[in-house]
This record gives sequence, C-alpha cells and structure tokens, in this order.
Amino acid sequence: MELNIFVQHFINALSLGSLYGLVAVGYTMVYGILRLINFAHGDIFMLGAYFVYFATIVYKLPWAVGVVLAIIGTTICGLLVDRVAYKPLREAPRISALISAIGVSFFIENFAVVVFTGMPRPVVQPPILMKPIEFSNGVRLIPLGILVPVVAFLLVGALLWLLYKTKPGLAMRAISFDIETTRMMGVSVNKIIALAFGLGSALAAVAGIMWALRYPRVEPFMGMTPGIKAFIAAVFGGIGSVPGAMIGGLILGFVEIMSVAFFPTLSGYKDAFAFLLLIMILLFRPTGLLGEKLEDKI
Amino acid sequence: MKSVRNLILTIIFVILFAVFLEKAPEFLNGYWQRILNLIAINAILALSLNLIYGITGMFSLGHAGFMAIGAYVSALLVLSPAQKSAMWILEDIYPFLLNVNAPFVVSLILAGLAAAFFGLLVALPVLRLGGDYLGIATLGFAEIIRILITNMAPLTNGSLGLKGIPAYTTLFMSWGCLGIVLLCTVCMLKSNFGGVLRAVRDDEVAAKMMGINTFKIKVLAFTLGCFGGGLGGALMGNLITTIDPKMFMITQTYNILMIIVVGGLGSVTGSIIGSFLVTTMLEWLRFVENPITIFNINIPGIPGMRMVIFSLLLIMVIIFRREGIMGMREFSWDIFFPKRKIKDFESKTETVLELQDVKLKFGGLSAIENLNMKIRHWEIVGLIGPNGAGKTSAFNVISGFYKPTSGTIKFLGKSIGGLSPDKVCQAGMSRTFQNIRLFGNETVLQNVMIGSRIRQKYHWWMSLLPFVFTDVIKEDAEVRAQAMNLLDQLGLDAFADEKASSLPYGAQRRLEIARALATKPRFLLLDEPAAGMNPQESEELMKFIRRLRDEFDLTILLIEHDMKVVMNVCDYIHVLDQGVHIAEGTPEEIKSNPKVIEAYLGAGASEGSAA
Amino acid sequence: MDAAKMLTIEKLNVSYGAIHAVRDVSLEIKRGEIVTLIGANGAGKSSVIRSIMGLVKAKADEMTFISPRDDKPVSILGKPAEAHVKLGISLSPEGRKILPHLTVEENLNLGAYIRDDVKGIAEDIEYVYSLFPRLKERRRQKGSTLSGGEQQMLAVGRALMSRPDLLMLDEPSLGLAPILVDEVFGIIREINAQGRTILLVEQNAFAALKVAHKAYVLEVGSVSLSGTGAELLNNPKVRAAYLGG
Repeated sequence: MELNIFVQHFINALSLGSLYGLVAVGYTMVYGILRLINFAHGDIFMLGAYFVYFATIVYKLPWAVGVVLAIIGTTICGLLVDRVAYKPLREAPRISALISAIGVSFFIENFAVVVFTGMPRPVVQPPILMKPIEFSNGVRLIPLGILVPVVAFLLVGALLWLLYKTKPGLAMRAISFDIETTRMMGVSVNKIIALAFGLGSALAAVAGIMWALRYPRVEPFMGMTPGIKAFIAAVFGGIGSVPGAMIGGLILGFVEIMSVAFFPTLSGYKDAFAFLLLIMILLFRPTGLLGEKLEDKI
Repeated sequence: MKSVRNLILTIIFVILFAVFLEKAPEFLNGYWQRILNLIAINAILALSLNLIYGITGMFSLGHAGFMAIGAYVSALLVLSPAQKSAMWILEDIYPFLLNVNAPFVVSLILAGLAAAFFGLLVALPVLRLGGDYLGIATLGFAEIIRILITNMAPLTNGSLGLKGIPAYTTLFMSWGCLGIVLLCTVCMLKSNFGGVLRAVRDDEVAAKMMGINTFKIKVLAFTLGCFGGGLGGALMGNLITTIDPKMFMITQTYNILMIIVVGGLGSVTGSIIGSFLVTTMLEWLRFVENPITIFNINIPGIPGMRMVIFSLLLIMVIIFRREGIMGMREFSWDIFFPKRKIKDFESKTETVLELQDVKLKFGGLSAIENLNMKIRHWEIVGLIGPNGAGKTSAFNVISGFYKPTSGTIKFLGKSIGGLSPDKVCQAGMSRTFQNIRLFGNETVLQNVMIGSRIRQKYHWWMSLLPFVFTDVIKEDAEVRAQAMNLLDQLGLDAFADEKASSLPYGAQRRLEIARALATKPRFLLLDEPAAGMNPQESEELMKFIRRLRDEFDLTILLIEHDMKVVMNVCDYIHVLDQGVHIAEGTPEEIKSNPKVIEAYLGAGASEGSAA
Repeated sequence: MDAAKMLTIEKLNVSYGAIHAVRDVSLEIKRGEIVTLIGANGAGKSSVIRSIMGLVKAKADEMTFISPRDDKPVSILGKPAEAHVKLGISLSPEGRKILPHLTVEENLNLGAYIRDDVKGIAEDIEYVYSLFPRLKERRRQKGSTLSGGEQQMLAVGRALMSRPDLLMLDEPSLGLAPILVDEVFGIIREINAQGRTILLVEQNAFAALKVAHKAYVLEVGSVSLSGTGAELLNNPKVRAAYLGG
C-alpha cells in the first residue's frame, strides 16, 4: 500500500474512532452512574448535527456562533430527556428506564422527521476545512481530518481534568460506585446526574457537528448506527471508564477502516466487526479493557 | 366443577371465534383482514419474547434476528424454482437451493426449528452473561445475522430481498398457529415446569438451592422463545410476500418489546391484549399522516407524526403504569363468576454432617479458619457469633455456594465440598436465607411446588401437550397434593392461593421453611429464622423448630442472633468470632464461657461486673 | 428550652416491608456528650442511626436537631441525607463504605464536599492525619488497598471533614483486632474532648460503655435499658440482652 493511501486510511480511522469515542463517553458516564443504557444518546448526537445545520446553513449564522448555539441546544435537550423520561424512574426497576430510553429514542427520531422532514439535507462544508495541504512526500491531508481527532482529544482531556481535578468530578466518580455513601457526604445526587447528562450531551453535540461536516449531510436516523457502535465502544473499553470509552472508540474506528482497506471484499461485513468484537470481549473479558468489576451482590 | 365449566367456556369461545374467522372475508376488506393477521403474528412474537424475557427474566434484544431466520427459511422453501431463478440477479443461487421445496406448514415448522437451532448456538455462550450485557450481546447477534443475510447473496439474494412469496398466511393459518402456541404456552406455564421458569426469574440463587440447574432452564426457555420468533417471522414473510434484511432491524425487536411491556411483562394475556392494542393503534394512527378536513379546514398530513404519538404513549405507560395493562395477572373465566385441600418422609445415619479443617479465603482475607464440626442425626445445632464472625460464610460453604479453600465436608458419609448448590440440594440438604428469598410473585402453593421440582419425572417438553402426556397432569396433581399437605402441616394452608410477597412476615419465614422441606431434605440449614420477629413470634418459632425436627425427622443447623431462641432450642452450640471457631458446647457451657462473653461484649467484659 | 440539647427523638419507628425493625425508640443527646446505642446483632441499632441520617424512611413523633451554630431547632425527619450534612450531622457508616477506587486523600476531600474554604479543608486534612498518622503515609493509595483498620480510620476521618457538630459512628470497632479497638476508642475520646458530640453505635458493649456518658440498650427494636455508661457497666441485664440471660 502506498504511503499516501495508508496515511489517508490512518487519518480516516483516527477521525471515525475519535467520533465514536466522543459519543461513547456520554454512554459510559450515564451507565457508570445509573446502570442505564441511554438509547437516546445517538439521537442527541443527531440533534447536534441538525442544530448546527439550521444555525449556519438555514439561518446563515457564522460557524463559530452556530457551533456554540448547537452545543447549548443539544445540552438542554439531553438534560430534558433525563428530567422527563429517566428521573421519574430512578426508584423503578432498571428495565423500566431502559424501555423509557427506547421510547425517547423513537420519539426524538420521529419528531425530527416531523419537524425537519425525513429528507437528508446536504451540509455545505466551510472551504477552509476542505483545502488539502500537500506535503513534499506526496501525502495530502484535509484540515478537517486533523481537526476532528484534535478536538476530540482536547475535549476528552478536559473532561478527564474535570473528573480528576474538580469537586463535581470527584462526586461523579464517587457516585458511580456508591450512591448512598456519596449522598452521606452532602452531595446532591440529582445535580451530579444532570451534570453527567449535560456533559455527555455536549460532547455528543460536538461529535454530531463534526460528523455532519465529514459526511456532509444530516438526516433524522443518522444517530442510530453510530449510537449503537459508540455504545459497543464504551462496553469494549470498559463501561464506566472515560479513557476506556475513547480507546474503545479508536479501536473500533481502526478495525472498521483498516479491515476494509486491507480486505476490500469484506466491506459488506464492515458493520458486523463491531458486533463480533463486542461479543468476544463480553465472553472473554466482560469488564472491558479498562473496566473495573461492578459490585454484584448476592 | 369449575375447571369443567371453564373448559366448556373456552371451547365455545374457540368455536365462535373460528366461525368469525370463517365469515370474516365476507364482511372485512383486505385491509382489515391484514390487520387481523398482523395481530395474530405479533401475538406469537410477543408470547415468545415474553417467555424469554417476561417469564424467565432474560433480557434479550435479538428477536428480530430470529424472525429473519424464520422468514428466510420459510420463503426459500415455498418459493418455486422458477421464481427463484428469476429473482437471483446479481449472483446465482446455490444450485441445491433452487429445487428445494416444501409445503407451507412444513416450512413453518422448519423455520421455527432453524431459529431455535441458532437460538441454542447463541444461548450456550451468551446466557452466562447477565442483565444488560445479555441484552447487548443478543442485539449484537441479531445484527450479525442481518449482516450475513445482506451479504450471502447466493443464499438470500442479499439486500434485494425476496419478492413474490406466496401469500399462504391466511386468517386460519395465523390464528391457528397462535392458538397452538397459546395452548402450549399456557399448558407449560400452568405445569410445575412453568413455576420453575418463573422461579429462575424471581430469584436465581434460591432456585439453585431448590436443586434446579438454572443454566439449563434458561437455555431451554431461550431456545423455545427463538422457535416462536422463527415461526412468527415465517408467517410475517408469507403475509407481506416480500422480505428483505432491512425489515429485521432493531426497531422490529423494539416493537415486540413494546407490545409485551404495554400488555404486562410476564403475562400471557397481556401479550395478546398488547399485540391487539399496539397493532391497531399503529394502524389507526396512520390518520395523522393523512390529510384531514375538519369544518372545511384542510389539515395536511404530517409524516412521522404517527411514531411521535406512539412513542409518547409508550413513555407515558412506562412512567405512569410501569407494570403494563395486565401486570403479571392472567385472564380467567372466574372473573365472570362470583367467588367460593395427604404424608411421607424418610431417614437414618449417625453423623449427618462433618466438617474437617474447613478454610475459606477471599483474596487474602480469611473468612473462616479451620472450622471443625460434627453434627449428629436428630440434633438441633446452633451456630452463633458476633457480626462478621463468618456464620453465613460457613452456611454458604456447607450448602455449596462457596467452594472451601481447603478442608473436607462430608454429608451423610459422602464428600460434598465443591459441589454446586443444586447438587448439594439433591443430596438431601436444604436451606433458608437470612433475607427471605421467596419467589415473591408466585402463590404460596407454587413456591412449595417448585421445591418438588428435583423429584419431577416427566420431561419439560411433555408439559407443552399435557393432554397427550397425561403423566404431567398426574404428577403435577401429586406434587400439588403433597405441597398442600405440607402447607397444612405448617399451618399455611389458608394462604395457599395468596401471593407469597403478600404474607405477613412470620408466615413468609415459615413458607420459606416449607419450600425447603418440599425438597425432602434430611438436613436443614436455617439462616436467622427469628430475624425481624417480635418476642411472641420468636416464642412460637422455637416450638415450631422442635416440631419440625420431630415430625420430619430432621437434623437442623441454625444461625441465630436472638439468644433466647438459640439457648432454648439448641442441643449444642458452635461459636465463631472473626472466622475463628472459638468455642462449642451445650447452651449452659456456652453462656458461661469467658471467650464467648468476650467476643460478644468486648475484651475485659468477662472479668468486669457486666459479666 | 434547655440550650444544651442537641438531638431529641420521640417514638421513632422504622419498618422494612413486613419487618418492624425499630419500635417506639426515644432518645436524647446533649451537647458535648458521647452517647452510645448498644445491643446484639439485629437489635435495630443501625436502623436508628440511619434514620437519623435520613437514609431510611422513618416515622417519629419528633426528631429535632438543634445546631450549636444558631441554636435553632430544626425537624430533620424526612429530609434527605445531603441536607443533614449541611446542618452539621455526619455519619461514619457500618462497613466503612470507603470508596475503593478513590485515593485516601480523595475520600477525605469528598467528606468536605459541602465546604468551599480550600485552606480550612487542607488544615482539616492535616488534622485527620495527625489523628491517624498511618493515613498520611497512604494518602495516595486507593481505598481498596487499605487494611480493615485503616479503612475504619479513614471512615472516621472522612466523617470529620464536614466539621460536624454531631458525629455518628456505626460500629467503628467491627472486625478490628483488639489492640486497634483500644486505639479507635482512644481517638473517639479525643475527638469528643475537642468539643464534638458523638453518637456511637456498638456491639462491643464493654468498650462503648467505658467511654460513654450515656447509653441506651436496644433489644429487638426497642430500648430495654438506659442510664449512664458507668451504671450500665455494672448492670447484669446488659449481658442478658446479648446472651439471652
């Protein structure tokens, strides 16, 4: 394989992987605290993409403003989902919240169909992100391909700083292990849960925006497959672990892109790799790569 | 008699319904016939997923995958060779497939079997996982199945799908299949085997202690459920006449999940009602997507609105009526009519249980150090010690929940160290738990009947057709009679049809003992039988424990904190403190043993005047 | 009103489903006291202390806390645990409940969650380290790597970090070697001498009675005896409560 082609694949894998990672972080934070698979998370990601589409393309706002508005809008949606559909079910059996999550996912997708119509809409990419940079050895790179992983790594770095260096972060790490004891320390559990939803949604919004730029279009069901794959990435990296989610996402991205790059005949099976990877890890290391064993009491 | 009356009513209903189906084409147009068909097919799918999830408690998100297998198997068998050779455009069909052909009914059965076979393959590795992980893994398998179908063009015609499948699914076909599935499900669930399934769902640990191989039961229920999934998928394909891989996405599983949640998880009636409601609702809601004219105002149809309303309704059901329409209740003719009870046990060897140098370590921590104990037939022995002494750990080692790190445990002369709980139970040992572990959703009688499962002689599959295999009815009747007898002896007969969780606390304790006795043990372990009882209740309990020993010829080992109970009821007492066996003797010896006093009241207490 | 009162409980009842774990328990704690609640396993001691903390649903005629900070009586019945911490109550729970994946220092910081005075928190961490020098050696280690005794120290230290007026300790001697038991009780005395009121739940009756100003003996959910620590130490009925007379 030529160097240029390989670099292209590498950058592609890095971009895709870091996008999966950003979405996976939201799954892992919520699951770590509530043991809830937030099926609606992929759709929150979709909302982020639509918001930026409307802000910049329909309402012609500058990109910087559009991106900020989209992140704020998506975060509010994420918080609303928790408040309306999950909070009333905190004391209920876990399955109830799970069904509620499936319901919310349906709702958001179809609401998007109603409001935005089901038609895919093209996203106009800012030219500055698309102008290739050429290197002397023939390698050509598009700035977007660099921007995506850089933004993703910076955000996950910031999140880790928040988790490990601030008080709310400390509370969030404590809650994921023992809600009652954390409450005994004076922590308002619901606020911390809301914070987890808010942060997760904001990261999903950023991922959605970058996804819309990369595959330049938006449509109501665009969150479904990346959502499920990001969840797999979270399980693969070890559910509950933020660095794990990012690593899981990257591995998934590389497996998908590289398998097709090296074995083009397998391209039809691309989506199956994620699931195979998932089943393997569940069978041989159910806690994932970096996961700690969750308490399991008789 | 009540059951005869109910049988007659059921037969009348079935005949009336068959007449209705016969006449239906005369007054229902194609559209309504199709909805009726869909209701029946959805009901089959819902029943089969309910068996896996609602009744046996395995969270599976893989149903769509099994439906897909069923649909493709059936379609490949009923399509004519001419149709097949015309349809495979991109790649040629495998030659052997071209000429395979089978009648529709045979194809349905093979569709179910194929799905069940794949279900079994999935179940064996995946059912070791629990909870959400099981859900995710099954979802993963369903997606893999779909992706394989998309890519294996010579077998499945790939993403183009199959068209022109003969519309063999008539009203009689779909409702007939539903009738058979319903009959088998109801019979199985009513038999003691059904009780076992629910027991696995409610409390797997307690079920193991009843001698049930829970893994086997789960694999079985999963495989049966997959059969239903395949059957439903096949009927669906022959109704819609076109199938392609996109039909079997995760949304399909969600739809079925919604039906059983709306109807009530674990309720057969609920699945039927749920599929009726959800199917018709989805159809009826189409009006919001069509233009409407009200008072000359034109309201254009809004695409997507149907699913918006539907998903909102679902969220509301979950938040405000989480148990669904039926909860776990079932339909019975009895609701239309105003309302209106046998001995044998065995035994004898000198030493019943012998522990030699038993050690138990968790990681580096030592839970039990060198426990030696000999319990003779007919004795009531107490195991006491302060909090964290290792008493429950000792129980768990004896009953097989933990494997001892070293040492031997002999029960009735045979070594049982390291056997699983169900094997230990089968050897004649039974226990109760500190925090009562009843199958709370089952009736008192059913709880006791599950205890008899280890002596059940009929095979599980016979319970599907009890009218053919009358042993099922006979044996279940016997088990029922014995269970009633047991309840009678323990003074619980009045509660027989009550839900176990609705019993007063003292009665729940006794029921747990009754359930333990139903396995006909020779040795009974009681973990804190007096916990949570008031002084008067514990007084009664003491008499009760002695009576148990006498009437059932038992040997009993009990953990208890209520010293009054221990000192009064036990012949002999062992004392543990922080995993160390510090004393043994008669109640009088124990009471004045300085080590014991120290363990309980703190160092120095035995010399101090508190002693 | 008696200014020295801190916590007054009248007819406290706690039920778990069909189990009536605490029946009509009344007790009173005065400022500066060590009060102990003793009794055999399953007598309902933990339920009492957990209901004071707001961790279990309870019924009572009265449950009033008077904070020395403002002398205002506040009913704490039915309030969530986090509100109690802000009022000045903290609990070192049974089984220590150390967060195993957080370091010693992070556990202590969590105890100070309601406070914002960075300097004060740092001082208090040093204070806890002075009480338990071994914790200082292990400040960067994860909670799960500590021994049982060290975890107990950390639990007590963590409960002190919110600067509580009422410190509640649930079974601080559980599972500890005798020599450590003495150490823990020594420290309880020290903390009390520095002006904190303590409610101590203990199975180790002898040790608890020796340090307590006042004691209540719980039997099957109700108070069967009460008196000063010294009185009960000489009362043969205490032993009966444990060993069934």
